[in-house]
Amino acid sequence: MLKRVVIASFATLTLAACGEPEPVVKGAAPMLRLHTEAQYRNAIADVFGTQVVVGGSFDPLIRTNGLLTVGSAAGAITPAGLEQYDRRARTIAAQVVSEVNRDVLIPCTPADAKRADAACAAEFFSRVGKFLYRRPLTDLELKTPVTVAGEIAATTGSFYSGISAGLSGMLVSPAFLFAIETTETDSGGKPRLDAYSKASRLSFLLWNSGPDEPLMAAAESGAIHTDKAVAAQVDRMLTSPKVEAGLRAFFNDMLAFDEFAKIEKDSIIYPSFSLAVAEDSREQTLRTILDVVFTNNGDYRDIFTTRKTFMSGPLGRIYRIPVDRPDGGWMPYEFPENDPRAGLLTHVSFAALYSHPGRSSPTIRGRAIRESLLCQRVPDPPGDVDFSLFNDPNSPNKTARDRLTAHSVEPACAGCHKLTDPVGLAMEQIDGAGQYRTEESGVTIDPSGDLDGVAYTDAKGLGVAMSRNPAVPACVVNRLYSYATNKAPERDERDFMAYLEKDFADNGYRLTRLLRTIATSNALFTVTPAPQQTAAVTN
Amino acid sequence: MLDLNQRSKSLSNWWTAGTMAAAVALLAASPAQAKTLGFVLTIWNIAQVETKFIDECPEGFNIGYDELWWRGLSKDDRAKYTDNGLRTRLDRYFNAIRRGPNKEDVCMNPTAVAAPPHLLVEGKQSYGLNLDGDTEGKAGANSCAHENFEGVDGTKGVDNQMYRLLGCVYGFRSYGQFEVNANENRKSNGNGMTLFEITNVDDVKNDPDVTVNIYRAIDPYTLDGAGQFTPWASYRIDAPDGKPRYKTTLKGRIENGVVLTEAGDSNVPFYGNYTYMNQLIRDMRVRLEISDDGASAKGMLAGYYDVDQLLFYVTGLGPIQSTAISDCPAIHNAAYKVADGYPDPNTGKCTSLSSAFNFKAVAAFIVHPKKEVESASAGK
Amino acid sequence: MTFHIRRAPPRRSVLRGAVNGIAVGFTLPFLDCFLTDNGTAEAATGRPLPVRFGTWYWGLGHTPNHAVKTKNQTGEGIEFLTECEPLKKHMHRLNHYSGFNMPLDGRSNYTHFTGWVASRTGSAPGSNFEIPAPTIDLLIADQIGTRQRFLTIDASSCGIARENYSARSTNNRAAAEISPLNLYARLFGAEFVDPNMADFKPDPQVLVRKSVLTAFNDQSKALATKIGSADKARLDEYFTSIRQIEQQLDLQMQQPEPNMACSVPASPAPDGAEQNMPMGLEVETVVTNHKIMSKMLAMAVACNQTNVVNMVFSDNFSHMRRPGQTYTHHLLTHEETWDKDLGYQPVAFWFNCRTMQALATYIETFDAIKEGNGTLLDNMLIYAVTETNYARVHSIDGVPAYTIGTAGGRLKTGMHVVGNGDPITRIGLTLMQTMGLSLDKWGTKSLQTSKPISEILV
Repeated sequence: MLKRVVIASFATLTLAACGEPEPVVKGAAPMLRLHTEAQYRNAIADVFGTQVVVGGSFDPLIRTNGLLTVGSAAGAITPAGLEQYDRRARTIAAQVVSEVNRDVLIPCTPADAKRADAACAAEFFSRVGKFLYRRPLTDLELKTPVTVAGEIAATTGSFYSGISAGLSGMLVSPAFLFAIETTETDSGGKPRLDAYSKASRLSFLLWNSGPDEPLMAAAESGAIHTDKAVAAQVDRMLTSPKVEAGLRAFFNDMLAFDEFAKIEKDSIIYPSFSLAVAEDSREQTLRTILDVVFTNNGDYRDIFTTRKTFMSGPLGRIYRIPVDRPDGGWMPYEFPENDPRAGLLTHVSFAALYSHPGRSSPTIRGRAIRESLLCQRVPDPPGDVDFSLFNDPNSPNKTARDRLTAHSVEPACAGCHKLTDPVGLAMEQIDGAGQYRTEESGVTIDPSGDLDGVAYTDAKGLGVAMSRNPAVPACVVNRLYSYATNKAPERDERDFMAYLEKDFADNGYRLTRLLRTIATSNALFTVTPAPQQTAAVTN
Repeated sequence: MLDLNQRSKSLSNWWTAGTMAAAVALLAASPAQAKTLGFVLTIWNIAQVETKFIDECPEGFNIGYDELWWRGLSKDDRAKYTDNGLRTRLDRYFNAIRRGPNKEDVCMNPTAVAAPPHLLVEGKQSYGLNLDGDTEGKAGANSCAHENFEGVDGTKGVDNQMYRLLGCVYGFRSYGQFEVNANENRKSNGNGMTLFEITNVDDVKNDPDVTVNIYRAIDPYTLDGAGQFTPWASYRIDAPDGKPRYKTTLKGRIENGVVLTEAGDSNVPFYGNYTYMNQLIRDMRVRLEISDDGASAKGMLAGYYDVDQLLFYVTGLGPIQSTAISDCPAIHNAAYKVADGYPDPNTGKCTSLSSAFNFKAVAAFIVHPKKEVESASAGK
Repeated sequence: MTFHIRRAPPRRSVLRGAVNGIAVGFTLPFLDCFLTDNGTAEAATGRPLPVRFGTWYWGLGHTPNHAVKTKNQTGEGIEFLTECEPLKKHMHRLNHYSGFNMPLDGRSNYTHFTGWVASRTGSAPGSNFEIPAPTIDLLIADQIGTRQRFLTIDASSCGIARENYSARSTNNRAAAEISPLNLYARLFGAEFVDPNMADFKPDPQVLVRKSVLTAFNDQSKALATKIGSADKARLDEYFTSIRQIEQQLDLQMQQPEPNMACSVPASPAPDGAEQNMPMGLEVETVVTNHKIMSKMLAMAVACNQTNVVNMVFSDNFSHMRRPGQTYTHHLLTHEETWDKDLGYQPVAFWFNCRTMQALATYIETFDAIKEGNGTLLDNMLIYAVTETNYARVHSIDGVPAYTIGTAGGRLKTGMHVVGNGDPITRIGLTLMQTMGLSLDKWGTKSLQTSKPISEILV
């Protein structure tokens, strides 16, 4: 029922979409982009199902323009990283050909399981290969696994060992590990992204995963080169449950929630904080955001003020809220009107992630708000500050505000701390584990302050100020476009960004609308071909 | 049933001292909306006075069933069970417990053998309350004659025949096998957990009129990384079809952050040593001292404990008694002898033991079933 | 779509060699380029012993005036003070370096970052994430590590995988192994070949893997023709990685050089005790994991699995903490009260002392393994460096450093080397030359040097 409402509203938006013409962008070079860990996992789950376990670690990516997805466009594979991919590939391949899975995942049965069967192998590899490489395989690309499978089957006496070897090879090939975009010339002689590259851009933007069969078909027929077909595909894709996974991946990246992998809290200072609390807090915030922007197709800015959220057993202990299913699962919850909590900034996730292991940190929190949510750059601390200013042994500083006031009177520090601290201090009533408090060291915490001239009295008020701050929608526009194109917006894209911002505002800051506008824009597909490599590949 | 009014007249120092303070608290009561406080019981122990040199047991601890069995064996039979024999240690346990004339399990059939002598506590001090209002050890309308203790706080006439019965059994000491096991069992498997709910609280420090409900939980404890009990977790009441399986309601009040209840009949759930229990405690009164931050509490609970229930527990412990150094026939026999409460109208023999328990708890949210059906399981 | 599965199989079989029972009995020519000059020989084989390299990283430097007594000129003898007390007994096994600077040519000092990048790459970074050149361990590994199963092994006891101070470039930076169990599985798991095993039989699976990689590598090269030059460089990095794995597989087809020093360690968590192996930044956890991992790294070297090992004790911000304390090591260096009487920040100082104890443990671990006539440490050269001289003010001039081991008798030890403001790259250049790299200068801009530290060369 709910889904139908969402579809209906997309359709309305489609009609309303025709407004001013879309500003033209220059476009960047086609990409060679290393898939992120989530994209790798999604690809395996899409092709082989979620029962196939994906293990091991991935090389770290560098967060660029606030997003790891942008960093992935510069990602490389180290020898140690490839060792991991290789081991992972062999483990996945072994699971695919295992006796429990082979009948489901391999579309044909070999004539003799003890011998090679090129026809069956070719059927399997062409089918999975298309989804792993996100395009049909070239002759050579099909021949390679079939030949490998044949020879391994012949020497080991097992068709399935052969399939396993061939598949593991596909899973370490760059065609799978990287998104490799290629260009072609259109009928007018102009360069354009080829059909499958376009399909991938769409599917990674909307689903954080590769194209499905109908999108692949639109690429194969060339229909994807028409605006109408793109719009039809986008509208179809927006109704898929995979959109939720796509938006989840976007917000996970925008909020740097991958950092939860290394969150650590002192168990003496915060005994109630556990791994389960950390995981659930991240999930709670993502659920809350998706509830606003997707399920209810509401105003994006409401994520800063909404009292509605979801609660789990472990979180109930931190929020001090009874939960009806302490043994697992989630329940919808609404903070009472007089509760000090409302909105993303008062969630355990944000407060705990952007804190030290044993204490809160207004500076780290303030920086996260400025950088992740307002897209503002906070410079790194200077290298030559004399910290002795803050080391007065007779310091009366009991609260974080007292300690940080010292920073803001020192000119070398003041510039940045003025950016971070006032907003960070608003969150001081939530401690480093996300628990509510009113005092620090016996002194009442003062969470008041102002954000760019808008005064507030506490974190909840900061949320209201955020929801009214024009930088907030502008930032999500910047990030989502950046996420779509895997690069920071460039100078020539200013007009286009302004166009997106206006469209976003005109349509009630509906994120699904923004997503659709980007997905159906010409800008998404515009590329300037890079100079071709002429020299042969060295080896 | 019971005449509650009559029982509640026999108040201890906690409750008598509270009467005046309650009137004061009433005036100071906050006009704010009434609150509910919740706690989950974490540690539960028989309240025992344990002196450094065990002065309360001048003849030492009781001997266990294993030794009693061994004493009854012939020299030849003993050879079979020594380390040089073929029997395993486990084998010995199971043979020892079947020391009845026809190999009866003497825990299941405590009367199959003549009861061995049982050493009782001879100390003068005990935890607990003066439950029968008497200070001279005389029988009353609802009690049998028994020797009184002096309370650790100097109260005269404290009744605690459970302590008298079990205080010299090694396994029931605070460090003994039964007590330690029971708390560990409950902590690890979360069975038979007790919830205390204090409702109608206008002022958490002083409130003349609150209600204390006792329930059983179905959710296991939430522990932190160090294995400690975590406060503020949610626990659902064990209430199939919305009907709480255990529910005891007591009237009470709060004085200086201490919850004190009036006497009432109750059924406190229990699990320990692989045994589920209905702890039927008559005239039960609870004292619960809440910490300043509200996150934890400690308390004492006293009342007349049903002898049959106690023996159900003790005899169900079976071979564990080996490491707890305890014997079923001995305790069985002595229990009825020292019972001091609620004489059977037909035989005149008392059926309950005055008792006291210490416990600890942490703050909890008590989750009621969506549609709660009234039930009162107290005393059943 | 068409494909030609009925075509004749390719002329060249993808399976080069034989599996299943057919012995693959070839040996690599014995490498003699990095054997010890003084001809220390492995007693069992009579072969000279190779020299290996390592790095050891710790965050937040020393406490000035409480770690090592200042000297004005290079000379024998190091006067260790309280913070470095644990190093006293190892003085004859190491050198201490002080007074070496990091001129940045106007670039910013990106706190806790510039220091390690400059000392390890010879170049100052232009941002707080740029790694402008390959790190010294990789330059050395390219020279001495390519005939081993692993080019380098990178481990970190502080639980942060991405804080690995070994990288080829900004984006080519592997994750450090942070779990002792995973490290063990990687080194001594199913794919490990004991160099001292009596009858070695290659695992047929190794040949299968090699064949698969090689076959697909040929296919993948076709992709490189379709992409731009900037991307091609990254694809080349992929091919380099493939080559390295192929090389590893080649090496697994033969028995590693026997080494009597090799004794395969037991798994750190037998019988499913994984649950009891915590990771993280709590200081005693870091110390415990460091100790376990040190042993594995030392044995990885002794068992000829790798010639280059990188250990990170604490990260560059040292987020280490003590249970129940709200301040991490890093926060303490900035916010803890400076004790006038003691002359330092007492708790931050405590962390520094604990760190130097760990360095002593690392030294002892390598020194405990008998190799040839001496110990493994005699045939090692370990570069221990941090990112700041005095964390409280983030100073990067005079960043303390150590070298441990004599590199098979090529380097003097027990020396306090004074830099007098020379660039810190002089240490790196000396180490690389000692390890046999034929380069006459290293570093860029003011960090460039062509002057090795001749006073420590034998």
